[in-house]
Amino acid sequence: MQDNDLGMETSYSDKQFEFTGKAMEFFSIWIVNVALTILTLGIYSAWAKVRTHQYFYGNTKLDDATFRYLADPKQILKGRIIALVFFMAYYFSSLISPIAAGIIFVIILLLVPALIVMSMSFRLRNSAYRNVKFDFNKNFKRAYLIFSMPVVMIGTYVFIVSQFQPEVAAGSNENPALSILIGVSPLLIMFLMPWWEFLITQFKVLNSKYGDAALAFQATTKDYFKMYALVILMPMLALVLIAIIASIIIPMTGMGEINPLDFSGLTVMAVPIVLVIILFYIWVFAFIQTKRTNLVFNNINLNGHQLNSELKVGYMMYLYFTNTLAMALTLGLMMPWAKIRTAKYKASVTSLTPAGNLGEFASMQQQNQSAIGEEIGEMFDMDLGF
Amino acid sequence: MIKGVYFDGVTSDKKEVFLYVTEAGRIGFDGVNKEPLSFEMIKVSPRIGNSARYIELQDGAQFETDDNDAIDDIVKSLSSEKFNGFIYRLESVKRFVLLTVFIVVFFAWGFIQYGVPYFSREIATILPEDASEYLGQGILEALDESWFEDSQLPEVRKKELTAVFNDLLVKVGEENIVLKFRNSEKTGANAFALPNRIIVFTDDLINLSNSNDEIISIMLHEIGHLDNLHSLRTTIQRFSLAMFVMVITGDVSTSSSIITALPVVLLEAGYSREIEAEADTYALEKMLMLNINPVFFAAIMEKLEASHSSKYIQCRKNEENSLEECLDVAVQDKHESGKGDEVIMSYLSTHPLSKDRMKRFNDAAF
Repeated sequence: MQDNDLGMETSYSDKQFEFTGKAMEFFSIWIVNVALTILTLGIYSAWAKVRTHQYFYGNTKLDDATFRYLADPKQILKGRIIALVFFMAYYFSSLISPIAAGIIFVIILLLVPALIVMSMSFRLRNSAYRNVKFDFNKNFKRAYLIFSMPVVMIGTYVFIVSQFQPEVAAGSNENPALSILIGVSPLLIMFLMPWWEFLITQFKVLNSKYGDAALAFQATTKDYFKMYALVILMPMLALVLIAIIASIIIPMTGMGEINPLDFSGLTVMAVPIVLVIILFYIWVFAFIQTKRTNLVFNNINLNGHQLNSELKVGYMMYLYFTNTLAMALTLGLMMPWAKIRTAKYKASVTSLTPAGNLGEFASMQQQNQSAIGEEIGEMFDMDLGF
Repeated sequence: MIKGVYFDGVTSDKKEVFLYVTEAGRIGFDGVNKEPLSFEMIKVSPRIGNSARYIELQDGAQFETDDNDAIDDIVKSLSSEKFNGFIYRLESVKRFVLLTVFIVVFFAWGFIQYGVPYFSREIATILPEDASEYLGQGILEALDESWFEDSQLPEVRKKELTAVFNDLLVKVGEENIVLKFRNSEKTGANAFALPNRIIVFTDDLINLSNSNDEIISIMLHEIGHLDNLHSLRTTIQRFSLAMFVMVITGDVSTSSSIITALPVVLLEAGYSREIEAEADTYALEKMLMLNINPVFFAAIMEKLEASHSSKYIQCRKNEENSLEECLDVAVQDKHESGKGDEVIMSYLSTHPLSKDRMKRFNDAAF
């Protein structure tokens, strides 16, 4: 029974994640949360958040043990109040004075890297597995270094353009090199985005710990460029295909004859166009989410224990589409169902290839952590997960 | 005996153990070398559905199990307090859940239907006048750049209408509103009330009218927007709605923001219809007060609507057709085809159905 290292090579089989939540059960929890949140004018929302997290963590199983969410609702409430004050200050100052709003916006912008670090720290320190907590190394310096990169790049660009604005506006083409520079640099900056995302993810993973063990990240910049290249190339390929098919079919049906102003003709064309656009939107969303999750998880390693994620784009598209449809038709009442089935699917394709006994990790002493970072981050809709 | 797993809190090592209760009411763990503990020395986590349950020991160790009912039995037998408390009872009894569904639906409806419009009106009146001023800053300049061109109307006509407008302002007790004329092929016949108290008429709209009373009726509608602080209220409403959606979906990840976007768009369209109706009410009241026949508003509305129909645009393509001829064709066409998707449109549209608006003014005609 006991996994003792007595010089014996034991081979460990993959351990599958499992999600045991049930839609009806979570619906009850969710609707009670919403009702109490309304009745307490939002105050209960902090408790609701903890309860929801506890339900999802406590139903996520790996190797016969569950995850546990430990945050104190009172701390979250404090964070939410501060975040709300910030948010309202920003929103209403934008009504009254664009300058004041601008100043508040810049302050928030300057705080973003710190908020992300604090938020990661709060979330991980309040997550545990096998009675051992996760942790996040608060490396503020590196966070500011990474997050200031695009700001510096875009800032430099805006500065250069503004210096030459009169010339460009006057339409003087005396300096073609300059026009090329101004036209091409945004593309260059965009081209660097995958690299930036890689740096952020790497930063988040490398500073995360389980007990006293740090996570390792094996992905490379190349993986990120590959992912975004596919996002751009595949729709282009699809468009070419559609164009070819359309150029064959349309003359055959005589649809090309239709006067563009004739409404009946327009609806005939509009339905497939709208459908293609919706499909495209869902595809991009599902593709990036799926590939990104797989990329991150498949490259996380903890003392030789390897995470695996095999999300499929097609199935994620199907999930998003049916979830959206169900929620739209029930005015959101099917949301708990949608969340549960998504969690079930994600767990079912996530596994861990252990390198040995999972009992080797030692606990670390930790101090309490403020929730301010996480809550402000959430108010401004920042992506705080991996 | 309750089957579960035990972690000592020092390492992540897992032990499969059984929890048992001694005759003296102490709790022990079979498989761990530890004296049985009294109930006061342990902490049982609250029950959340059937998710895993944790018992924390004072030395940092933890017992974890799926068997929620068995834990509940132990807690009940050893403790006098109602451990799972109020929240779990709400969640687990069907009657209560149903009740909360009704509470949520009722409050959501009440808040959206009455709460948001009420509070936005109250806040808008409290805010200093500067708020509207700032809100409108730069809008005209932005519109001039992308939508408007200089007006082609004769100077005499502009002077005449400005005089009519200023006279109207005095009569309805308003001041500091500026009337401007612009030509716009992109928006066609239209009028705008900008929050910094500027009203813009497009040339096409002026050309559509047969009498100044028709133009006055539109002027009154636009003044109604300004008088009711509609831009400011819309901004506040949008904020309240965003907050409301955030509270309701607070624990949802952002993965499905498209779903929250859809109802917000619909609700905003609804508020926008209410606001148009309010401006209509203002126009109607003032027309009656000034003894102007409300039928003029209905007349210009009909022409306005016709001028945006595809029939009209098509007809105008031919240079030989005059404005009046094309309007007639478009109005005729409207009367013949009529009906259609009105029911659906009334939910999606940002303006009330023009048929209903015209009826209101026609009914008040004298």
